[in-house]
Order: sequence, then C-alpha cells, then structure tokens
Amino acid sequence: MSTMLRELRLSLNQTQRVRLQSALQRLQDMASLASAVTVVADTVPVNHEDSILKGHGTSDLNGEVVAALCGVVERVNKLVYVRSQRARYKPEVGDIIVGRVIEIAPKRWRLEINFSQDAVLMLSSMNLPDGIQRRRTAVDELNMRSIFEENDVICAEVRGFQHDGSLHLQARSQKYGKLERGMLLTVPAYLVKRQKQHFHHLENYGVDLILGCNGFIWVGEHVNSNGENDMMVDQEKREDVVNKSEVGQATYEVRERITPLEIRKHVCRVANSARLLSALGFSLTVEVIVDTVEASISSNTDIKDILAAEFYVQTAEREVQRRVSLTRRKG
Amino acid sequence: MEYVDSLTGFRLDGRRPTDMRQIRGEIGVVPKADGSALFEMGNTKVIAAIYGPREVQNKSQQVNNQALVRCEYSMANFSTGDRARRPKGDRRSTEISLVIRQTMEACILTHLMPRSQIDIFVQVLQADGGTRSACINAATLALADAGIPMCDIVTSCSAGYLSSTPLLDLNYIEDSAGGPDVTVGILAKMDKVTLLQMDAKLPLDIFENVMQLAIEGCKAIAQYIRGVLLENTKQLEYRKGV
Amino acid sequence: MLQSKSFVKKTRQGRVVKVVREHYLRDDIYCGAPSCKTCDTSAARLSTSASTVLIVDTNVVLNQIVLLENPAIDDVVVLSVVLEEVRNKNLAVYNRLKALCTNSLRKFFVFSNEHHKDTYVKEMVGESPNDRNDRAIRVAALWYQSHLGVNTQILLITNDRENKRRAIEEGISSETVESYVRSLGKPDLLDLVVPSSSAGVSMEDVEDLRPSKKKVIYSEHKPMSEITSGLHHRVYHQGKLRVNRYNPFEAYVGSESIGDEIVIYGRSNMNRAFDGDIVAVELLPQDQWRDGKSMIIADDEDDEEEDVHLVPSSADDAPRNENLVQPTAGSVAPVSGRPAGRVVGIIKRNWHSYCGSLEPMPMPAAWKSFGQKNYFIGDRDTENEVLLIENDINTRPFSSQVLACLPPLPWSLSSEDLANANREDLRHLRVFSVDPPGCKDIDDALHCMPLANGNFEVGVHIADVTNFVLPGTPLDEEASQRGTSVYLVERRIDMLPKPLTEDICSLRSDVERLAFSVIWEMTPDSEIISTRYTKSAIKSCAALSYVEAQARMDDSRMMDPLTTDLRNLNSLAKIMRLRRIERGALTLASPEVKFEIDTETHDPLDIGMYQIREANQMIEEFMLAANVSVAEKILRHFPLCSLLRRHPSPTKEMLEPLLQTAAAVGLDLDVSSSKALADSLDRAVGDDPYFNKLIRILATRCMTQAVYFSSGDLSPSEFSHYGLAARLYTHFTSPIRRYADVIVHRLLAAALGIAKLPPIFLDGPQLMSIADNLNHRHRNAQMASRASVELHTLIYFKKRPTDTEGRIVKIKSNRFIVFVPKFGIEGPVYLVPKGDKGADWVNHNPTGQSSSSLSSRFVKQLFAANGGISC
Repeated sequence: MSTMLRELRLSLNQTQRVRLQSALQRLQDMASLASAVTVVADTVPVNHEDSILKGHGTSDLNGEVVAALCGVVERVNKLVYVRSQRARYKPEVGDIIVGRVIEIAPKRWRLEINFSQDAVLMLSSMNLPDGIQRRRTAVDELNMRSIFEENDVICAEVRGFQHDGSLHLQARSQKYGKLERGMLLTVPAYLVKRQKQHFHHLENYGVDLILGCNGFIWVGEHVNSNGENDMMVDQEKREDVVNKSEVGQATYEVRERITPLEIRKHVCRVANSARLLSALGFSLTVEVIVDTVEASISSNTDIKDILAAEFYVQTAEREVQRRVSLTRRKG
Repeated sequence: MEYVDSLTGFRLDGRRPTDMRQIRGEIGVVPKADGSALFEMGNTKVIAAIYGPREVQNKSQQVNNQALVRCEYSMANFSTGDRARRPKGDRRSTEISLVIRQTMEACILTHLMPRSQIDIFVQVLQADGGTRSACINAATLALADAGIPMCDIVTSCSAGYLSSTPLLDLNYIEDSAGGPDVTVGILAKMDKVTLLQMDAKLPLDIFENVMQLAIEGCKAIAQYIRGVLLENTKQLEYRKGV
Repeated sequence: MLQSKSFVKKTRQGRVVKVVREHYLRDDIYCGAPSCKTCDTSAARLSTSASTVLIVDTNVVLNQIVLLENPAIDDVVVLSVVLEEVRNKNLAVYNRLKALCTNSLRKFFVFSNEHHKDTYVKEMVGESPNDRNDRAIRVAALWYQSHLGVNTQILLITNDRENKRRAIEEGISSETVESYVRSLGKPDLLDLVVPSSSAGVSMEDVEDLRPSKKKVIYSEHKPMSEITSGLHHRVYHQGKLRVNRYNPFEAYVGSESIGDEIVIYGRSNMNRAFDGDIVAVELLPQDQWRDGKSMIIADDEDDEEEDVHLVPSSADDAPRNENLVQPTAGSVAPVSGRPAGRVVGIIKRNWHSYCGSLEPMPMPAAWKSFGQKNYFIGDRDTENEVLLIENDINTRPFSSQVLACLPPLPWSLSSEDLANANREDLRHLRVFSVDPPGCKDIDDALHCMPLANGNFEVGVHIADVTNFVLPGTPLDEEASQRGTSVYLVERRIDMLPKPLTEDICSLRSDVERLAFSVIWEMTPDSEIISTRYTKSAIKSCAALSYVEAQARMDDSRMMDPLTTDLRNLNSLAKIMRLRRIERGALTLASPEVKFEIDTETHDPLDIGMYQIREANQMIEEFMLAANVSVAEKILRHFPLCSLLRRHPSPTKEMLEPLLQTAAAVGLDLDVSSSKALADSLDRAVGDDPYFNKLIRILATRCMTQAVYFSSGDLSPSEFSHYGLAARLYTHFTSPIRRYADVIVHRLLAAALGIAKLPPIFLDGPQLMSIADNLNHRHRNAQMASRASVELHTLIYFKKRPTDTEGRIVKIKSNRFIVFVPKFGIEGPVYLVPKGDKGADWVNHNPTGQSSSSLSSRFVKQLFAANGGISC
C-alpha cells in the first residue's frame, strides 16, 4: 500500500509508519466501497434496457458508457455520471467561493477561483460601499481599485454562466466582499462539500473560517458582522483612521488595527489543521477542523508540529475513531 | 555487436527479446501541479506535471470551442552520463514536445473545456532509451490525476529490430545501435494507434511483427497504468470519507 | 513477467564515463538436464543419463579447446561468464566453442549464470574481476549440484590451484584437466591435453611451478591506475608500439605527448609488448639515449612496411612526424639522440594469434608443440602453417552442417532452373572465359556479339553463387566468416566447399551453368548505350588461359568466330582503358612474381616477374565496367544498405615518402589529383627500364587500402574509388572467392525484384560488422599471399645463391635498401661489420614474431650469400 503524502514529505519512524498504515487500512475497510470506483476508459456497467442519461465524466464508445475520468460512479435516477476527485472546481449556481483578484477590467474584476477560466465579478453585481442601490457611474468605474485591488482575496457567490460561456459572480450581501487579516489556503476542491453554511465563526479562537466551494479556504481574524452595514461601518472606520491620522492622533487607532498575537496564533493553528487534513485527503468540514484544532491544543502540539509526523498519525487515528463512532450512531 | 546472445537468447541486460523493462508509475509527485506523475521504464525516469485547465495565457491562442493543449519536453542536464548543457528548444525536444502534444490531444476531451488551456510539462530525469514512450505514459498518468476528461488511456512503447530479432522496449545501448526503432502509441481500450514513428527501412512483414510486439508492450503498460490509477482513486475515495 | 533487480555497473572507457546498466536476474533459466523435474526441459541439451556433468573454467576452454572438441568429452555446461571471458580473450577459441554449443550432436549446454537469480554474484570490495568470475563459476557449480541432486555428479574442471582448492572447500568436486582425462582411461585423449606448463598458462603460473628458478626477466607491468596517473602527469607516454621490420629488438612508439617517436631498444625494455599493442612508455635518462650514428637501424622503418598504412586520422595512430625525424637522403641523423624509453605497461593488447618457437635446448631436437605435431623452423610446411595462423586464416575442413547445404552431386542444369521466369536462357550465345592457366574456380565469362546497327552486345557472366548459397544457411555463415579464398603459392584455401568452387559454380567449358549476367550494348567507341542485368543459363564454349587468348589475338591467321570476338573485345577494352586513364585512373604496380613449383616436393623451381598481357587487361577492363554498372544499379535501389568499395584519396603526408624519393632522383611528381599523379608517373621515365616500375611500386605503397563499406554509413562524397578514378565501385565479379560479391549479388537480385532482400541488410550495425570482417579477411588474405610469396622466394634462394642486378631504392645512415626487380624482392644491405650486432638478432626471439625475424634472417642470409652487391 502506498502511503500517499501529497503535500507533506514526512519522515515517519517505524512505529509511526505501522500506526499510520493500520489506521489507513481501517479507513479503507470501513469505506466498504459500495460506491463503484472507476478509472479512465473503464466501462460503466448500465442496464441498457433502462433509458439512461450520460452525465459528467462519461463518454460513449460503441454504445457503451465509458468513464472519462477517474472517480466514483454515481447514479441519480436515470443519470449516470462519474464524480471526479482531484479535478479543478466545477462551479454551480449559488456556490460560495473564495477567489483572488488578478485583473481589473472595465466594469469588472477577474478572479482566479481554481476553475478552468477566470471568473468575472461585474461592478454591477456587487453592493457599493455606500450601500445604496443605484446606477453605476463613470466615477464608480474609476474608483474600482479603491474597492478591490489586484491580489485582494474576495468572497463571493456564483451567479451563473453568461451566454458567452464566462462565469459570473456576485457579491450582493454584506457577508461577501474583501477578506483581510488572515490567510488563504488552497485544497483540492473535492475535499470541500457543499453545505448550508460555509461561513464559520470559531468563537473560541476569534477566527473566521470560510470554506470556499472551490477549494480556497479563508482563515482570518473575526470580523464583526452583526450589523447590516458591517461593510459600511468598516469602511467608515477606515475613513476615520485616515482622518484621524491626518490630524495626528493615529497612534492609538493604528495599534488597534494590529491583529493581536493571540489571534494570529489561532489563525495559524486553524490553517495548519486544515492543511493537515487536506494532506491526509480527509474531507474538510468545520467540525473536523475544530476537532483537530482542539486535539492539537489538548495534546500541547506546537503550531508548527501540527504538520509533523506524530500529529499526522494521531489525526489519522482520530479520524478512524470519528468514523467508527459515526457509523455506530447511524447503526 | 551481438544484441541477442545466440546461445542463450538473452539480451545484453538479461531480458528476452519480448521482455519489457521493469516499469513503475507514481502519482502526485509535484504538489503544486494540478496533476503529476513519475514514470520509470528501467533506468529511464520521467516526470510529468499538468497545469490546467486554466485561463489561456495568450488570448490570441484561445480556442472558443475547445481547450488549448500545450506541451513542453525537456531533458535534465544530469539525465545522461555526460553532463552536457542542453539548450532549451533544440530540434529534438521541439519535435518530441510536438509528438507528445499531438498524442495527448488525441485522447483529451478538449471540447469539454472550451476557452481554457492545459499545460503538460515533461522532464526526463534519467535517460536510458525510450524516453518518448516514457514521457507519454507519464503524461497519461498525470492527466488522469489532474481529473482531465479523456476518451481513453494512451500508452506508448518502443520496439526495434536488431540481430534479426524483434526486440521490445529498447534501452539506450540497443537504441544507439542504429537499427530500426518503432515507437508506437495506442489508445488501449479502443485499440487504435495514435502514434507511430520509425526512421529506418524495414520490410513490411518484419515491420508488422515489430509493430505488433510494440502494441503488445503498450497493452501491458496500459494494464499497469490502469492498476496504478485504480489504486490511487480508491485511496483518495476512502480517505475522503462520506 | 520479470523477476528482476537492477544494479549499477561502472565501467571505464577511455574517458571516465559512468555507465549505468540494468541487469535483470530471472528465475526462468533452466538447467539443461532432461531429467530435471523442476525445469522446462524442452531446450535441454545434456544427455538423459548423464552421471557426471562437467563445468569448465575459462582457462580450460582457452587452452584445451582441442580436447573439448573431441567427441569423448560431453555433457559440458558452459557458463555464460566463461563464454564472455573467452570471447574477450580469444575470439577464435570463442567461435570454436560457440560451434560446439550449437552443434546438435554434442551435449554442450550454455547456462546463463549471470542472469539467474540464484547464481548471480556481485563483485565484492577489493575482489579482482578474475576472482569474482572464479567465484561465479563455483557458485554456479554449487547451484547445479544442489539442483540436480545426488544422482548427478557435478565436476568442476579447472587448472587453477586456488580455484580448485576453494571449490573443494565449498564442497564441489573438482579436478584438473589431466587428472580428469586420466580418469577416463583413454590414453589417446591424453595426447590432446595441452600440458599446463606450456604456452597457454600465464607467466605467474609458470613461475609458481618453478619457484627455485624465479628470476626477474622482465620488470613487472605497472598497474592500470598507476599508468593512468602517470600518463596524466606526463611521466609516462602512451602510443602504439611498432616493431622494426628488420630488427625484432627495436621498436618505436609514436607519442603524442612528446611529439616525437620514442625508440625502444632491446627485449627487456620492450617488456613483453608486441607489435601493435598500445603501451605506456617511460623515458630513459638522457645519457642512455643512443645517438643516431650508432643506431643499427635508422628511423621510420614503417614506411617500408608493405602492409596497410593506417589513415592518420584514425584515433589510435601516432602522429607521423616525418618532417622532424626524416633525415634527407645522405645527411646524418638529428643532432641530439632520439628519446629512448622502456615499456612500463600495456594499455591495450593487439590480440592476435602468434606463433613462436622453442630454442634448441641442450636436447638436440627443436620442436614446438601445436596439437600433436612437431614442427621445425625453416621447414616449408611449418612456415606455411605459421603464416596461416598468424593471419588468422581458417583452414579447417568444412563442417558437416556446411556440406549438408550443398546440392546433390553430380549437379546439372535442371528444367526447373530454365523454367524460372527470371532466368534467361543464354545458352545459344558464344560465351567463353579467360583466366590464368590452371584456374579451376572460373567465376567470370564473356561474350561479344556484333549487332545489326554496328554496335556490339557485350555480356559479362558471373557464376550464380547465390543460387546455391542461400542466406542464413550454415554454408552462408561459414562463407561470410571466411570472407575470401586465400591464394598461397602452392595452395588455395577456399571460401566455399570444393564442389561449389570447382564444379557447380565454376563456368567451365562445354557445361551448362547458371550465371548472373550484365549485358551492355556498346558502340564501337565503347560508349555504353544500355545496360541490362539478368540471371541466366549459359554454356561456355571455351575456357582459355591468358596466354592462349593472347596467342589467338596475335595470330593474324586465325579468323574463327571466337578469335574475332576476342579481337572485338580487345579493341573495345583498349578504348575503355584509355578513357579510364584519362579520367585519372592510376596504373600502379607491385612486385608480383610467379613461381614454378615442383609438383612432387612443392618446392619452387623457378621465379620470375608476373607478366601482364593485353588479354589480362582486356578481362580486367570488362570486370571493372561490370562492377561499376552493378554498383550504380544497387545504389540506386538501396541508397542506405548497398555494399560498395571505396578507395580514399591519399593525404599529402602519406605521399611524403614518395615525393622525397622522387625528389632525391630529381623528379618532380604532381600529386594534386589522381589524374595529375597518373600523368606525372607516366612521365617518370629514366634510363633504367625498371625505373618507372619502381616509382609505381613506391606510389602503391603510399596508398591506403581500398575498403568495403555500407552506403548508409558514409556520405556519397566519400564513395569514390581513387585508384580507379570511379565515382562508385563494388565487387560483383568473383562471388566464388569473395563473399562481398555474394552480398552484392543478393543486392542486385533484390534490386531486380527477383529475390527478397535478406533482412540482414536492414540491420545497419550488422551490415557494418560484415563489411569490417570482409576488410579484415581481405587484408589477412593479402598478407598471407605475400608472406607465402616471400617464403617461397626465400626457400628458392636458400639453395641457389644467385648473382643478379638490383636497384637501390633508399639510402639510410648505415645501410641501403635494395630492390631486385627480377624477383620482386627487397631487403637492406648493411654497411656495418656483420659480427657486431648481427648475432644478436639472428637469434630467435622465443616470445614471438617468428615470421618477421625469420624473414629477416633469410633476407640477411640471402644478401650475405650475394656478397656481390654489397659495396
């Protein structure tokens, strides 16, 4: 059995290796691959008497349904498709994603979102800082850079495909917008499941966690979002700062803007936990991440050691426990 | 020189004429890439990395109904015994880049990824004959790893004709003997040939034998690659959990 | 599919290059015993009831191949490690061993121990390759023993004491050759055993046996590592050793690092190096350098050597710095002495069969042991054998497998042959052959027919050997190995078995034979209008000798059709010849002589220059034309795999000796092109009738040899034949005695679509190796013929002191070289008193070079006898 360590090249000692392997073996046994794993060019068995619909990841060869991807064959009623794994993100309308601005074009931003093309966020698809619904003016267009600059990280929602095939986003809510004071992680998109909630406030740590459906994960200092006009408030605050510094009283305020060390440590811890899980190839849900963070604290693991061999193995073992208890609960 | 021992029937390295070298494929060797693979045929070792499908870098090359496939082949300076500086983009690597690009393009379902670009980078880490084939096999693994839809698995293998015997999978010594050398690439499931290269003359009946041998080799490699992919897919799936 | 491991092997090839190769070990290599239960027995070779299986080591094979070839020795396992070592050490023995292993009547089995997973051994740290191989042999023997169980005894045959001791320690039964043969109880076999104390055993072993006599004769060769570093630090110098043709105890090493030739005097300084070895030389202190005057023999001897001059660009040849060392005629040698040195190690041996002799010990009989016979120096048969062995000429009779490929005798033209659509029936033509008297292997015949339009139809018919020698048969392989027939003065060694050579293929008169014909339509001005190639059936009406043909042409009274044909051909040939000479073909000359041999004793009775008649030239002209036509045809069809023959233009340096000699007699030769050279050679006429011939002989010696090559290996600009001034040339006209012609016949047949091209032609490297072998065999055959002529000359003069006229061709500081045109012999005449050094080099050198020292001795005797010419 090959131990896949995609992103981490760890040196495991003998016992750790044995522990890891047995943990992975148990995972494998548990999975009871009822789900049919298929690889490229395998025939997908279908009952030809039923009329079937060939979905994603399949192709047709002399009437046979053949997988075009490596992954798992899924059947939903008549539809047969192959759910792929390490492929790039496949957008669906309504997905919450995190992306990075790479270009500012007329009336729009282009964002890298781990899709086969860059996504487009129209100036008209987002709320203006002043929060007023109105036509966008030429002045607004000129001020686009004051809203998002290149390399800013943004959270948005998939609006849909335009007829020219480009992917459009929208950010018409206070919860969307620029993300600051944190870090962006990229994990394979298949590890993030679509769920009701993608924004998480980890209150214990004062950290916001956004699990973008496209595999971009944001971990940052918690932003107070109780007010409807959070974004606006934020903006005002900033203006205040500018004003205040102008009048030479900035010292206090600026210190306020520095994220406390405590929070920064928490951000790193959460981020490393997410990295670790992605390296192990486990699904990333907020529960598992929090679980891992807590385990790392309770076992007194340093932030940097979260990615080291011992905690890696422990996490694998904990995942086994977790899945065992899950199945029990179900059973 | 005797490339097949007339008394024992073995080749210089102890293989029989129809034996392939030991092959090994490994997936996920370049973490940053969307897909990557290492492929070894004996001492020939090749790494492939796939980026994409992603936004087309040079808009003028964008194709509106299908993906743009690009390929870059290079040989590491240390890949052969004498550490010669290899200028990038010499005739040979340009030619092999083109060969790999065309071969892979034939199996990628490019129409599913319009207005995007797929970059295939292959680098020879160690050369011992059959680099072309190894590159194609590595690229196939890497493409599958990147989750790029393909109509079939492409595999490639070479065969030659030395000492009046068809030989499978030539190594460097046999390759540099100057005899005919046929490189074949096939679509394993469809049983179609997508690549056929030979720069020597061979009588038709012998050529058919040699090519048949190379095809057998390709099929064996396809079998192996399928195994590697299946194992990899299983691992990813069960680790992910429900 | 594979049970394999790969490992890393480092080898050194000149420059240090790390070579990494895979080495697969497998478990599907079978033991070859038919009784074995675990192995696949389909390829088993050993006998079913073998109670003893022999495993031989390398030295046993090398020394006792004669014994192994005896049918009494059977059930032998030949390990691949042994095969490999034998191949590296002696190719001739390897081929014999290979023949044994493939012979279905013998029970020799090749076991690939190097690729078997249980018998592969890895070299241990500090272990020499020899020890490792010995260990590999023991491991394999042990494996056999445990594999075949108790019912079969495995016996390791080795003469190496250490190996035997260790084998017995490890529980393998082991015997020496002698004790094993003795145990067989067949005394006649014992005679075949080469005693271990004679030639074959290495120096150490001999010393080992006689510890009391241990005396350092030669200083030890330095280890390779020391030589390498010595060369690097310029303490040692590397070069090819060339032994003086007239003095076996003097040699030269051309060294690039000093840019001069290093002279090596004496046996101990030469330190067991042979002619042609690449050696490392250490310079002697300057006071030991002898200066030019006291040297017995001056420099640049190699110029006089008749054998091949290597092209200077070839990597291993030393630079020929003639300008530096060549003293102009008459002047004395350079001021300071030439560097002298001694050999400290041999980098690469020039592997070659050598013959040696044993000095008359206190016992009266001088003998040497080769097989079972005793040979005596100076005896014609002995010397004949020596020259055959030294030139690696296979004189063994054809094997039964080869003879099985012959068509049943008596052979005659069958109706099937005639029915073949590709074969034209030309029996109605008046075909005849012209050859030297007594020629039995007639491979060419001609016809000439006037056409209605005033033109002539001229046909060259060549024996259709490929009809009988089919590709891939043992007969074909044997012929390709032999490469050519060898003509000695009193004997011919055939390339093909006698029935083919003298009967089935030979285009004798009044019998119907198969031929391959080239037919031209020519104008009376010898312009070729059209060329046609076809397989044919012919019936020769006359087999003439050159003398007869000449007589017919000269006799104006004879007006029969045959003579008319001859005259027509002759007039065509004259025009062709003229045209060829105008193009710049060289008329070269060599001192060819002819013997009359006593039919009983085979001793030469008379000797004379070979006379060239018009008839010879006529035949030659048509053969050249046929060869050129065929070359064009096959190259057009197979631009990448045609076998052609080229003659490279000589470089300026190579013609230097010729120019110097010419300059010495006040002659100015123009060597800018072959045409210019031919013209200036024509002009070089002195008062002496032989002068022109002498100059031509010198010119010939300056040329490189013509060589066969495959057209895929060279660019078309290199195809040309300098001597014949032909753009393309090949050999087509003598398939009975040259294998190259056989190949060309096959190519031509394929070009005509008559036959399929044998696959071998598509195998570039193999074709090249065939061409190389042909060149090698051709050269050896020439050397052997020359040596044979030389030998007979010497035998002739041994009994007949003769006074005759000679020409001085070169003057050296202490001697001059004399050429006797009448007998075509050449030798030095020394001006130093005979007693001084002479005695030193009349002695036979027991380490080898018998042939060269022998000839020098006879030459010396010859000239001593002819006191008349030394001044």
